[in-house]
Amino acid sequence: MESYSREFKIQKNDIGNAGTVASLTKRELKRRGLTRDFVKTVTIGIYEAEINVVIHSYGGYCVVKINDDIVDVIFQDIGPGIECIDSALTPGFSTASHYAIENGFGAGMGLPNIQSVSDEMKLTSSKEGTRLHMKFNIDGDCYES
Amino acid sequence: MKVKDILSSNTFELITDKSGLNNKIIGIFASDLLSHVMGNASESNILITVLSNINVLGVASLLDLSCVIFSHNIKVNDEIVNKANELNIPLLKTKLPTVETILILSKMGI
Ligand SMILES: Nc1ncnc2c1ncn2[C@@H]1O[C@H](COP(=O)(O)OP(=O)(O)O)[C@@H](O)[C@H]1O
Ligand SMILES: [Mg+2]
Repeated sequence: MESYSREFKIQKNDIGNAGTVASLTKRELKRRGLTRDFVKTVTIGIYEAEINVVIHSYGGYCVVKINDDIVDVIFQDIGPGIECIDSALTPGFSTASHYAIENGFGAGMGLPNIQSVSDEMKLTSSKEGTRLHMKFNIDGDCYES
Repeated sequence: MKVKDILSSNTFELITDKSGLNNKIIGIFASDLLSHVMGNASESNILITVLSNINVLGVASLLDLSCVIFSHNIKVNDEIVNKANELNIPLLKTKLPTVETILILSKMGI
């Protein structure tokens, strides 16, 4: 199938629109005939990453690329960065604000969830911003028969 | 079992319009933390929660949950109800606490 590439802007604290990237990517994956399980896996990863940019960063963007072999997703924001990546990856660790917690976020399970659903995840961060690159491999089993 | 089948008891009040009532129900998930719902709930689950905000709908829609039940008589504002109508997600309310809600649903055979 033709390859797909789409870029999304993500605004700081825009909780009402959080989930847009996940939702539109889900639609595209379904259109391509991928299984519910595969679609769910990707959706979980994107949703958590998207929420993190909304609640923890000053804003950023996301690029989603899909071809027959892979779903490749990059989230890049403009800071303030993650102080200690090892802590951030620990299940339950969270620095979520009161505002985020009131909205149901801040379980500290986002990054661990992303790690477990993706085939590859690279997280790099500095004060200038955080970049999260995740890959989901598509093989024959991922298509609805 | 469908969403409309659990409405016949007086336990639940439907606060959205009539769309989605034919959604199939398979199983129950209860949590007030969205990452837990996102990571653990399955398609066609009922979600029981006291978290009444717009992101619950995002998660319900992404996971294709059958409906959301707000327990403990929690307040649900119009913005949420309108958005749920748009997304065709049935929203139900109950005075019961979460655990009793689960017990009743389980008695119904879910
Ligand atoms: N894009 C980001 N920018 C800055 N900090 C982040 C970002 N993503 C994650 N973090 C940090 O990593 C922590 C753990 O993230 P996560 O596992 O998703 O849990 P939660 O979002 O529930 O706090 C966050 O609390 C935050 O301190
Ligand atoms: Mg998170």
